Amino acid sequence: MEWYWAFAVLLGMVISFMALGVPVAFSFIATNFIAVVIFTGDLGTLIQVADNSTQLISRFTLGPVPMFILMGSLFFHTGLAVKVFDGLDAIFGRLPGRLCYLTVAGGAIFSTLTGSSMANTAMLGSLMVPEMKRRGYSSKMSMGPILGTGGLAMIIPPSALGVLLAAIAEIDVGRLLVAGFIPGFVLAMLYAAMITLQLLRNPGSAPAYDVDPMTLMQRVMLVVTNILPMGLVVFMVVGFIVLGIATPTEAAACGVLGVLLLSIAFRSLSWISITISVEATVRVGAMVFLIIMNSTVFSQMLAYSGASKGLIEWVTSYELHRFAILFMMFCVLILLGMFMDATSMMLITVPIFFPLASALGFDLIWYGLFVLITIEMAGTTPPFGLLLYVMLGVAPKGTTLFDVAKAAFPFLVCDTILILILIAWPNLALWLPNQM
Amino acid sequence: MGAVSRAYDALINAMKVLSGVCVVLIFILIVLDVLLPLVGIQAWGGTLGVVEYALLWFTVLAAPWLARIKGHVFIDAVTELLPARVHAVTSKIAYLVAIAGSVLLGYYSLELMLEAYFNGDIDERSIELMLWWIYAPMPLGFFLVAIEFLRYLLGYDDMYGNRTDVKEGM
Repeated sequence: MEWYWAFAVLLGMVISFMALGVPVAFSFIATNFIAVVIFTGDLGTLIQVADNSTQLISRFTLGPVPMFILMGSLFFHTGLAVKVFDGLDAIFGRLPGRLCYLTVAGGAIFSTLTGSSMANTAMLGSLMVPEMKRRGYSSKMSMGPILGTGGLAMIIPPSALGVLLAAIAEIDVGRLLVAGFIPGFVLAMLYAAMITLQLLRNPGSAPAYDVDPMTLMQRVMLVVTNILPMGLVVFMVVGFIVLGIATPTEAAACGVLGVLLLSIAFRSLSWISITISVEATVRVGAMVFLIIMNSTVFSQMLAYSGASKGLIEWVTSYELHRFAILFMMFCVLILLGMFMDATSMMLITVPIFFPLASALGFDLIWYGLFVLITIEMAGTTPPFGLLLYVMLGVAPKGTTLFDVAKAAFPFLVCDTILILILIAWPNLALWLPNQM
Repeated sequence: MGAVSRAYDALINAMKVLSGVCVVLIFILIVLDVLLPLVGIQAWGGTLGVVEYALLWFTVLAAPWLARIKGHVFIDAVTELLPARVHAVTSKIAYLVAIAGSVLLGYYSLELMLEAYFNGDIDERSIELMLWWIYAPMPLGFFLVAIEFLRYLLGYDDMYGNRTDVKEGM
């Protein structure tokens, strides 16, 4: 079978099943069984689908995924997140648009303590949107920063999605995780600059209001007691990986330990918060792992049928500039993200795009970060970007999807600027991993 | 019938709890592996292998419960646009595809498990583990998932309706 037919059959089958409403994990399982019969012509090889499906998810490198989810759940359910917010709240004083800046700062700090953009967006949305409405902020100014900042968790370590991407693409998990650290904070600064720009254009969209007066000492104390201790967790995850003290999986478990210790210190740990957090980890982690369980067989089928190799040879035969091909990959990811969740997108595109990126001479750590930023952008792209729906779920009644998407747009521009900066200066991403 | 139903529900719930136990076990084993050498105690060499097995067990044990609570993510962008009668047909096809996939995976993993068990195959990781252990949760897990989708197919519940945590993810 020609490579393009094989490509069309494999992708057509999995996308058709998904379009029919078959749960994503089972779309891959069904596709794998049918594809094995089509491409090997031997029913005896069906057993390989079951055998190979155990390969990827029984790897130690995937250990950080449930640990990062658990860490984030504990951070939110033990009330540590609210403490961080209280500390930050004291910093901004009577600044116009203070709640927008607070969102960006809080979201960036949350991102260093959780690996889930969904949880981040939901938490920031439910905390900030009602308060912003009460203070007379426009819907654009209240929802936009939350949508932008919520997605930072995909880029700033610990990122559960980053671990999945690295495991599926077979690149170094630790290097990809730390590669997102500096660009993540640059993106947070771009968001803050965008808020300033929006405020300059329309000062009435986020009016200043009086806050309870606080002495400098009181502010410093709040920061010291509520924010600085979180640095322990950040060090236990990012610091341990960069310094080579622990593997990403070990660092992730240490991060969970750090959150537990802090919640004990703040006397906010309870049996209920632990059980809720473990159940949330099972719900999200097992759902995602069941999807990627089938990625090995799907990748093998793409390789065995000649689809991956054929596509790479075909694309590179046109001698297009590699950034033109990068732009095409960007468009495909954004398009898929309009309809699909991040894990499914990765499963479909990684076996094709990573070998292509490698053939084009891109550093795969840099490219992995590019993919994560693009997936984050896809999550805030209408009509079906998942973060838009999370936001819609916590937004006041009467808010439409169009309102949410319009608010997100300026922050998508910031994401695009970051990608351009990374293209012009790849070391922004690669400097920190190169220190490892 | 009521007793069978209650026992079945208890089994699915127990598997979910076991999945949570796996998460806690992974955490404890890794933390001990990091901390014990710091106090001069040699860490247990089996952590890596056991964690790798626990990752698979955690996934498969939770699968039937996830099917029950409509927790397996699916894309409704296309089916939502369809007229109700057509959607009813596509949903039946979707359930059948999920059942077929689950039964096949359950069946072949059972074959793998029995083969590994009777051959006494060893899986050499950081410690030697019996190979059949890795396949052990899969037949039960996937056959129960098939039963859950069969419940949807027979109309006991609707996977596409009354969902909670619709947009769960990372």
